[in-house]
Amino acid sequence: MRKWLFFAPLAIFLGVSVFLFTGLFSDPWTRDSALLNRPLPEFDLPDLMQPEQRWNRELLTGEPFLLSVWGVWCPTCKAQLGFMTELKEQGVKVVGLYYPLPVDPAFGDHFSLGQLQRDVQRELAYFGNPYQFNILDENRRLSLDLGVSGSPETFLVDANGKIRMHHVGDINPRVWRQKFEPAFEQLQQVGLAYQGAQP
Amino acid sequence: MSRFSALLLLLCSLPLWAGQEILPFEDDAKRQLYQELVQQLRCPQCQNQNIADSNAVVSIDMRNKTYELVQQGRSKQEVIDFMVDRYGNFVHYSPPLNPLTLLLWVLPVLMLVLMLWYMLRRRQAVPTSEASNPALEQELDAIIDAYRSKK
Repeated sequence: MRKWLFFAPLAIFLGVSVFLFTGLFSDPWTRDSALLNRPLPEFDLPDLMQPEQRWNRELLTGEPFLLSVWGVWCPTCKAQLGFMTELKEQGVKVVGLYYPLPVDPAFGDHFSLGQLQRDVQRELAYFGNPYQFNILDENRRLSLDLGVSGSPETFLVDANGKIRMHHVGDINPRVWRQKFEPAFEQLQQVGLAYQGAQP
Repeated sequence: MSRFSALLLLLCSLPLWAGQEILPFEDDAKRQLYQELVQQLRCPQCQNQNIADSNAVVSIDMRNKTYELVQQGRSKQEVIDFMVDRYGNFVHYSPPLNPLTLLLWVLPVLMLVLMLWYMLRRRQAVPTSEASNPALEQELDAIIDAYRSKK
């Protein structure tokens, strides 16, 4: 008992050290999305550029894709456009979910779709356009259902419309290589095998 | 006099919960439920603010959704479940008891039990050691008496 007590402070010190040391490398921002391995939520939203075209969950299934939540007001989203355009050229399907800022009519603000379309076009022409199309998330309703806390955020969705991966922050070469690429390739192969099995 | 007491009352007025948007509610129960919820739900964007305090876009959206759900007559637990379903347990300030959070709940109780056990053991140990030595007791009494008589 006595001997055991003699080593207790050392043991406690080592325990606390290990705990605090691992804390140095933990990121309070990374937490798993509550929607992992669940299907995309139901939605019915217009296309950003052709508002008469409407998108829903069923129209998005069929092949794996990246759902990228972004906005022209968000600097990090600009920074990732170049690399995501490269991904598109490699054959990765990227769908944009446009996250508009709230407008406060009390301050004389109003939402202008035409102005937004011009801003988006200018920005994509300048930084690169990775998007096959953009869905306009009116009132950020789908973003709320997706548990989005800001932008940029990216979801990897499989061919059946199930969410397989979630990333908060920009997509850069390192994140793509380490986090997305293996899973994306696997999903693509599964998809091809599935299509091959279809008569 | 009345002027003085009015001034006094003004000085004593408690800091009010200002900065809340004025939302129409048809009854006070719903208003209270809404206030309770926005103070217990945590903003997923800003680490340690509730959604009542935060003006992040996501907090505004969550407040609006909370208002909408409360107006629909949903219960407190239903609104919390709705948010946890989308944002995970992070979003509520009291984490549920599950294998992951077991340590959080059990550790304080365990510490308390250990402390009580240690205290009881010490208390039992004291009379058996020094206090049972009558010669030492007498010696100590003599020293104390000598000290007191000096004054």
